[in-house]
Amino acid sequence: MNNSAPITQRGLAREREKLLPGTVVTFTTIMHPPTRLGSRPRMIGLIELENGRRVLAPLLSEVPFIGQMVRPRMRLSHVTEEGLRVYGVAFEALTNVPVMQKFPGYILALSGPSGVGKSTISRMLTQACADYTASVPILTTREPKQGDESEYVYTTPKEFDRLLRTGAIVSATDIPSKGEARRYGYRGADIEAIWREGKVPVVVTEMHLLQGLAHHFGRRSILSFGLLPPGKSKRAKLSQLLHRLRARGRETEEHIRDRLKNAERDLAFFTERKDLFDHIVVNEDLSSLITSMKKKVPGLSGA
Amino acid sequence: MQRDIYIAGSGLTRFGELWEKSLRDLMDEAIDAALRSSELDVLEIDLVVVANMLAEITNDQAGLGALASSLLPHHPPAVRVESACGSGALALHTACAFLESGRAKTVLVLGAEKMTDAPTDVVSQALMGAADSELDAPAGLTFPGIFGLIAQRYMYEYGLTREQLSIVSSVHHSHAAENTFAQFRQGLTPEAVSASPLVSDPLRLFDCSPISDGAAACILSTEHKSSVRLCASQIASDTLSITERPTIVSFPATREAMDKALLEADIERSDIQAVETHDCFSIAAIINMEDLGFAKEGKGVKIYEDLYTGQTPLFVNMSGGLKACGHPVAVTGIKQVIDMGKCLKRENVQYGLTHNFGGAAASCGIHILENLAV
Amino acid sequence: MAHSAIVGFGVYLPKYRIKISDIARHWQQDPVGLLASLGVEEKSVPGLDEDSFTFAFEAAQLALETSGIPSSQISAIFVGSESHPYAVKPTSGMLVSALKLDPFSHAADLEFACKAGTAGLQIVDSFIRSGQVKFGLALGTDTAQGKPGDALEYTAAAGAAAFLLGPADHKDALCRVERSLSYTTDTPDFWRAADEGYPSHAGRFTGEPGYFAHVRETLRAVVERWKIELSELDHVVFHMPNAKFPMRIAKEFGITKQQMSVGFIVPTIGNTYSACSLIGLVSVLEKARKDQRILVVSYGSGAGCDAILMTMQKNGKALPVDAREHSYLKYDEYLEHSGALAA
Repeated sequence: MNNSAPITQRGLAREREKLLPGTVVTFTTIMHPPTRLGSRPRMIGLIELENGRRVLAPLLSEVPFIGQMVRPRMRLSHVTEEGLRVYGVAFEALTNVPVMQKFPGYILALSGPSGVGKSTISRMLTQACADYTASVPILTTREPKQGDESEYVYTTPKEFDRLLRTGAIVSATDIPSKGEARRYGYRGADIEAIWREGKVPVVVTEMHLLQGLAHHFGRRSILSFGLLPPGKSKRAKLSQLLHRLRARGRETEEHIRDRLKNAERDLAFFTERKDLFDHIVVNEDLSSLITSMKKKVPGLSGA
Repeated sequence: MQRDIYIAGSGLTRFGELWEKSLRDLMDEAIDAALRSSELDVLEIDLVVVANMLAEITNDQAGLGALASSLLPHHPPAVRVESACGSGALALHTACAFLESGRAKTVLVLGAEKMTDAPTDVVSQALMGAADSELDAPAGLTFPGIFGLIAQRYMYEYGLTREQLSIVSSVHHSHAAENTFAQFRQGLTPEAVSASPLVSDPLRLFDCSPISDGAAACILSTEHKSSVRLCASQIASDTLSITERPTIVSFPATREAMDKALLEADIERSDIQAVETHDCFSIAAIINMEDLGFAKEGKGVKIYEDLYTGQTPLFVNMSGGLKACGHPVAVTGIKQVIDMGKCLKRENVQYGLTHNFGGAAASCGIHILENLAV
Repeated sequence: MAHSAIVGFGVYLPKYRIKISDIARHWQQDPVGLLASLGVEEKSVPGLDEDSFTFAFEAAQLALETSGIPSSQISAIFVGSESHPYAVKPTSGMLVSALKLDPFSHAADLEFACKAGTAGLQIVDSFIRSGQVKFGLALGTDTAQGKPGDALEYTAAAGAAAFLLGPADHKDALCRVERSLSYTTDTPDFWRAADEGYPSHAGRFTGEPGYFAHVRETLRAVVERWKIELSELDHVVFHMPNAKFPMRIAKEFGITKQQMSVGFIVPTIGNTYSACSLIGLVSVLEKARKDQRILVVSYGSGAGCDAILMTMQKNGKALPVDAREHSYLKYDEYLEHSGALAA
């Protein structure tokens, strides 16, 4: 139809922008592509380029899978009726091995209400199994607080927004506190760097961030632990949390009340979203909890 | 709604491959049926709003407002609107704006699409007009391809299986059995869906809505009351290309339109007992249930599993949806409202919702109907 | 006198192959006899969505990436091929845009049968020596055509090689171009009319009066005019229409198998026409050591030879390994890939 010269030329600049490596977000094989492209089925991928942009392009992969790393190739797309050759970028698999990242390829996530002891557990776990695990830093727009551990990376709201927009942040959430919305998020690059070292990334997280991670990496790549305070009833659990938050001595009463409200919602989340948790464990006694967790995490039982 | 808007009349043609009918014939038949169903006189129609997506390409016909208007003896003013497969809801929304402003008192909303006069590959290319011609089409994508990409990613994120997906079209076909206007009224087992030829994996032939001819007309009026009132009409937009979205397994345009519609109707989601949703592909039906808020993320298929086993958590696509009733693209949004009116009366429920979108939900239109007889 | 040097190089071969024995079996010919007479085991075949432009792009891109020279500093590009995608619309122009070279570039397409690529090298070398440009690209690229059933079918292959040249005193200068000469006659050994899809050739006439006469004349001139002993050369690369011709002329001049071995790439690739001797040169550049001397003598039907003498300035560096698995085609698939089925 309209495959004329100006259209073809404008397409050239667009194609040049695609000449970057990337990963496969999703793909499909169209059995009957548009007639200009011939009679064969055509595999097309939605590729996330290394600069965060997403593009659609033919996928040259015998064994495609989501998360596969790909590189750009110059290919002939089709020849127009007038004999003009239209070239475009196709993406070729870098590896046909269906392993998304190097060992071990999953994330260990610890969630639970405020005060249940997630940070403590994470710290103990990553120290005890330092060769096998590493904490994933959390980006946040809030101010550094006394008593903050090194798990936070502080940034400005503007920078956070930019990282989110370009896809550098793969999971983010806003947690209101004192009337301001504080933002928290994880950078995909931080998690991938830990994988490349051959270690399991450990995140201490809450429900929205957990959902975001499941969304981005796939539910199956999260090994998720829900941590509950001891106590038979919800009231008992909440009172345990209150006790621990006060004992921490880090916050004002008003803050603690806020956290407790969030905690109540978090507890409800455990029952509502059971599907997001692989194990629900009670944090009664720290060292036996760590022992039992290590048993449940592949690769850590020997650590 | 700033005024009470009633559905004062409605009419449909059958949907299907209607070789003997031209675009004009289809429009005529629908207008006729709508007028016969109502007590008002044709001369009371102040305005015609026409919904159509493809006529320029499939029928060499633009100026659709004038064409529709010329079918009425008094040639009222007319306007044509387009938002791809969401044109129907957009036409209703446009009519509401005219009615609420008082510029019109009785509006004929007419959707018509004549797709079978053009060869299949021409239609397929024309339908890609609902996606981005610079960002999506050059790679060689088709619409089943776009939803194939979405289905593949959805299965990866939520673990949906092929067997589960096949239930959707099976349910839609069983609902169409009672719909004399539907394109396909025969039953369809989930096994048959799973065994049908691949179109764009994982989507198979019976996961995809068909190419259909058809027309539907709806008369909306602030003057002529009826037992069905439009209590909300909301539209929303999103990026045209799926490459510009952070996620492709949920449609923000649906979520936005839904929130606004519930607010406008001043009802709770739980008040809605019937839904006509935009199942251009089976995976869309599942995602829609989640975006409309009737199911949690990743759990949309459960509604269809329940429907399949004979439970009725909700009346969903009793017309047969786009898959079984047919999908003459721009007509669907109007047919949904007409069928919802029938459903509310037949099942004796108060509130029903129609959900129509264009492209990969680049645009979305939601209407809430109230059955005043309940 | 100023010199130019190769500062970067790249190669691209499609991943498809076909075994000569499979072609032979289709035509009910004796595969063993053919292997003995041609010495080629398998040849490269273009992908369905590849052509001489896409090959050239990939080879040039690799040359740019491995050299680290910014593409905007390159202002000359000459591309030799017998299968330019267009009769009118230059491959070199499309590459200037796709590779983001300096838009103020000297660019043109060349044809001289299988020596169009080395002709490009000579031209870029001259542009640099005359000071008109700092960096230039020379490429040979082809999707070689051999009519089904014709002898050429067993060897006509597909690929590209690219050379980025710069000033010989550049810090990244890998291989200095010392001298070059060319020898040209009008000899109708192999030709393709403008409207023909496949070339025609004159059978045994392509041998002695074609390839051998011209390469012999050129080698004599190299020895006489440049006053060098061929035995001093560390690496010699000839155009390789098959495995026999280059070895025969080498033997005639006392050039040893050792001198030939690194650049002798034809047995598993076939004859990539304008890219042939250049792909052999790529192989040498990867493995040669500092101060080693290289002679390339290409031959193009029609006919003529280009001889280029080079000296390594540093040890050669291997290109990144192409990890793609070779995909072996059956004869019917090969027909479609080589364009024989295009209606």
